This record gives sequence, structure tokens and C-alpha cells, in this order.
Amino acid sequence: MSERAFDLTGIDLHYGFVKALDGVDFHVEQGEVVAMLGDNGAGKSTLMKVMSGAHRPTSGHIAVHGREVHFHSPHDAAAAGVQMVYQDLALVEAQDIATNLNLGREPLRKGPLGWLGFVDRKAMREESDRELDLLGVRTAPMHRPVEMLSGGQRQVIAIARSAVRVTGESNGILLLDEPTAALGYEQTRLVEGLIRTMAGRGIAVVLVTHNLPLAFEVSHRIVVLNRGRKVADIPTADTENDHVVGWITGSRPSMFASA
Amino acid sequence: MSDTADSSAADAAAAAGPSNEGPAAAKAPVHEKLPKSISSLIFIRDRGIIVLWLFLIALFAIWAQPYFFSVSNAMLILSAGAISSIFAAAIAMGVFSGALDLSVPGVAAFVGMCSAWMISHDIPVWVSLLAGLAIGVVIGVINARITLVGLNPLVVTIGSLTVLTGLAAVVGGGYTIPGLDKLAFIGTDTYFAIDQTWTVDVQPWFLVPDFSFQLGGFDGVAGPVFVMAAVFIVMTVFFTKSRGGIRIMAVGGNAEAVRRVGLSSDFYRTMGFVLSSLLAALGGIVTAAYVGEANPAASPGIIFEGLTAVALAGVSLAGGRGSLPKVLVGALILATIGNGLTIAGADPYWALVATGVLLIGALLADLMLTKAVSRRLVSVGNLSVHGKA
Ligand SMILES: Nc1ncnc2c1ncn2[C@@H]1O[C@H](COP(=O)(O)OP(=O)(O)OP(=O)(O)O)[C@@H](O)[C@H]1O
Ligand SMILES: [Mg+2]
Repeated sequence: MSERAFDLTGIDLHYGFVKALDGVDFHVEQGEVVAMLGDNGAGKSTLMKVMSGAHRPTSGHIAVHGREVHFHSPHDAAAAGVQMVYQDLALVEAQDIATNLNLGREPLRKGPLGWLGFVDRKAMREESDRELDLLGVRTAPMHRPVEMLSGGQRQVIAIARSAVRVTGESNGILLLDEPTAALGYEQTRLVEGLIRTMAGRGIAVVLVTHNLPLAFEVSHRIVVLNRGRKVADIPTADTENDHVVGWITGSRPSMFASA
Repeated sequence: MSDTADSSAADAAAAAGPSNEGPAAAKAPVHEKLPKSISSLIFIRDRGIIVLWLFLIALFAIWAQPYFFSVSNAMLILSAGAISSIFAAAIAMGVFSGALDLSVPGVAAFVGMCSAWMISHDIPVWVSLLAGLAIGVVIGVINARITLVGLNPLVVTIGSLTVLTGLAAVVGGGYTIPGLDKLAFIGTDTYFAIDQTWTVDVQPWFLVPDFSFQLGGFDGVAGPVFVMAAVFIVMTVFFTKSRGGIRIMAVGGNAEAVRRVGLSSDFYRTMGFVLSSLLAALGGIVTAAYVGEANPAASPGIIFEGLTAVALAGVSLAGGRGSLPKVLVGALILATIGNGLTIAGADPYWALVATGVLLIGALLADLMLTKAVSRRLVSVGNLSVHGKA
């Protein structure tokens, strides 16, 4: 836990006249889980979208593994090893789990059929089964269409779709925007385990959540945003629930001198 | 809640027992199976159209005997359904990829006129055909480019329908282009004709009245049937087996999902338009070949019949799902109804009435079945997530 996987400095972002982010500094290290907290509209999703390449900051610098980058699209971010799970899952309802997990990287059959672009569905299912096993998340059979899954299962599939892509590269970064919003107790624990597994493999994880117990449970560090500014950035072990709630609501003064 | 979910899944796994997918099951006991009641409902929803078709065939076999249930009449139905099923496939391409393409009749008329014009100017047949198909591809790309700017595909393709209808008339100076004998090989020519006939009498032992049917003595299979077969075989394989097909389906279901995994959703949406126009162009050429002349008038009936076939096949107009073989059965059902009612001596207008009633009935049945399935899925509650046991 030494190298900075992701390092953002002085990020400003305006939506028209709305200043959604105001001089935010943020970093995450390999193998570290950072919980990003804040009230509704604090700017969490916006900051995540800056990191995933969906939005370009009005000003500020972004560096991945110490190298400055300019993301023009999520594609650029993905090429740099960044994967994001959005609040809306964007799964293909009519297709099965294996297809959803493998969209864009479908294994082809061997030989001439493969040259013609024929997909090896059997390999795809087996590979998906294995990957979900490795992540410790078991859901329904791989050939079941996503539309027949429960909300929790879908959430798991959406996370797994991103997770299997970051594990592809060694030093990946996984951004999770409220991954447990729709989940019950069991499923939340499943996602928690998944986050630990990922971090244990050296992947940097940023977790946006409104679930404080979850944040305290899995994160190494907690970052709080309030109205577009970072008001706290502290190792999880060095803080407590009441302080964090204070920063979220704004009743506790910022850790940083206001500029 | 999670307790009951766990136990019901365990029950399901236990009930499924060792027959559960062989070795995979032993490795993965937590994979639950769907309950019988749900899987049989899904089976009815997914196979209902074939049952319906068989029912209609049985109905007409009795009602319109002995002429209906004969091989040569089956060929007539195939010929009648061939061209409309190619157009139905064209409409389905658009629907699969998430954009209903209404320009299909316009593409058919314009390309038919262009190819006919070339042939009547002594350009080699194969060049004229390939050029016609290429024009189809270009129109598809243009439709896509305009739509992807952010316009509604319905409006864009209605616009291009109008433009193409006008251009089709321009090509022939407002007249049809006759004398397409060189195209007879995909038109009126027939293959594998048999001269002899045999009549078979059947005496079933209960309920059904005696009936008879004929074997042999048919005029062969018409050219368009082969084109139809080729289109459906190639396209079905493409959509179920290939990367491109799977991604076009995915973009129709959820373009954002395709974008997020780093693919160009615009490319795959364009592919949908291109396939639609390509098949429309093919349909236009085959129509001209079958009729023996190219007609500049775009026929809106193509859209209605195509959409009816697509809807009968249970293909959601919202995009992203559907099966081409079922679209083919849908088109053949329409041809079967038209043919059967004619042979039975009913007023041909009843074919329209029957088709419309069938369409709405099929949609209602599909809706009710889908609702029943999701209601059961919720009440069973066995679709929760399970960690590795
Ligand atoms: N596309 C947009 N256009 C204009 N304003 C936006 C847009 N997206 C977000 N905002 C504004 O930016 C601010 C930050 O929004 P953001 O979605 O980042 O909040 P959040 O912290 O993720 O909140 P939540 O917990 O509700 O998800 C809000 O004031 C919001 O109204
Ligand atoms: Mg948000």
C-alpha cells in the first residue's frame, strides 16, 4: 500500500452555473479501499464520473500511477485500468449472465468459425462461472437472462462485470457508486466480501455509499464531501461514527482550512 | 426473508438432484433451478407461435380439404410467404437493434428500380444485383448517421421513405421498368418439380372426420423461397452465434451497457440500420424478379405485414430481443391464413380480420404469460443471491 494508483488534485467541475466540485484533492492507493461519503448532491457521483472519464473536470489534474492523464471518455479510463459501476446498472436485460459479463470481450471459437466471429458460448459460461467463483459471488446459472434475476443478483452481476475487467490488468482501479443501495443484509455482505477480495489482490477500490456501517467495515480510509468540497480525509481507524456524521451534515468543521 | 429464500433454493437444488446438468451440478450445488410451473409457462410463451401455426394448419387441413393439406399447396404458401418474410426480417433487424426502420418499402422500391434500370441498360445481372445491395447498405448508413445525431429513428426513416419513393419514381420517369427475364432465376423459375400425384385417404379412428391429402404433383419450389431460406439461415446463425449479432442485440436492449464496456454503440446501431436496408434491398430485387417488372410505388403493406409477423413472433418493439425463426413462422402464419381462407372459399377480406384479431390476441397472451411468470418469480422468491456454500 504505497504507490498512488489514482491521484486527483484541485478538481473543479461546473454543471452550467452549478459548481458540483470545488478544488477537490483525492487519491487512492493500490490495495486500498476508500469510502467516499456525503449527503445527497454532495458531488460524490460527479467525482466518480471524473475518475471514470465520463465527465471532464473544468480544471485540475489527474494522475494514474504517477503519470498525468487526460480522459476523454470512459474508454480512455478503461484503457488505464479504471472500471466503474454506476448507480444505474446498465445491464442487457434480455441476455444471459454470461453474455453480460463478457460483452465486448467474448471468447471466439477456435479455427475458421472463430475467424468468422463465432462466439464460444460454452467457454464463455465456464469462464464466467470460474470468475464469479474467484470473486466469491455465486448467483444463478450462467444462461439465465438478467431480466429474471432479483435486484440483488443484478447488482452483483453489474459489479462482477467491472470487477472481472479490472482483474485483467494487474494494477486496476474499481469505482463503485452505491453498490449496495438496493441490497438486503445477505447481499450487502456478499458485496463487502467482493470488495475485500478485490483489495486483497492489490486493486484500488473507491466506494461511494450512504451505508456508514459498511464504510467502517470495509474501508481503510474515509473521505467526506460536503457541497462539492472535501471536508474530511482520515484513516478509518482514526475516526468514529459521530464525527463522520458531523462532517456529512456540515455540523462539524472541515479538517481543511477553507481556501 | 433471506432464510426462506435460502431454504427454497436448497429444496430446488435437492429436488433437481443428480440430473442437474451433470458434472457442473456437482461442482455448483447452489445453482438453483426454476420451478416447473415457471419453466412450463416460459415454454408456452416461447413456443406458443409454433403451436398456433400447427393449430391453423390442422384447422385448414380439415376445413379446406383435400386441397389445403398437400405438398404443392405447402409450396404455394411458402412462395406467398417468401417475399413478405424477407421484408419481415428487414423490419426485425431494425427492431432487434432498437430502431424501427420504416424506410423498408422505400428502399425496396428504389433499389428494385435501380437494379432493373441497370439490367435494362445491359449491365451484367450480377453487377446490377450487387450494385442494388450496395445502394441498400449506403441508405442504411445514411439513416444511421442522421438518427445518431440525436433524432427519432421513426421520423428519420419516414423521411427517407418519402425521399426514396420520390427517387424511385425519378429512376423510371414515373413508369415501371418491365422485361426482367434475366432475374427469373430468383423470381418465377421453379426448381425440383415433380409430375406425378398420389392421393392418400386417412380414416382416423375418433373425433376427426375422414380426410385425404395429395402427394407429389407440385410445380417445384419458386426462386424466392431459396432466397428466403438463405436469408433466415444466415441471419439466424449471425444473431445467435456471432460476436457482431450478439452485440447488435445488446445495443438494442441497452445501448449504455454496450458503451460502458468500451464498445462503440454507434457502430452497432449503424449495423442494425445497414442490415435492415440490405434485406429491404434484397426484398425489392426479389419482388421485381417475381413480378417481372420493377414498380416505383412503395407498398406500405410491407410494413404492416412485417410488423405483424414480428409481433406474432413475440419480438418486443422495445428492442434487444427476438428470434428470427419465429419471425419466419409469423410471416408464414399470415401466408397460411390467406391461403387457407381462399381455399375454404371465404371472402378474402376475412384474412385481414383474422390476421388483426390474431395479432392482438397473440400480444395479449404474451403479456399475460409474461405477467404470470414474473408474479410467480416474485412469490417463489428463490432468486436471491447465495454465497458459495
Ligand atoms: N448532469 C447534471 N447537470 C447539472 N447538474 C448536475 C448534474 N449531475 C449532478 N448535478 C448537480 O451536481 C451536484 C452533485 O451531484 P452528484 O450527483 O455528484 O451528487 P451525489 O453526491 O452523488 O448525490 P447522491 O447521494 O444523491 O447520489 C448536485 O447539486 C446535482 O444537482
Ligand atoms: Mg450519486
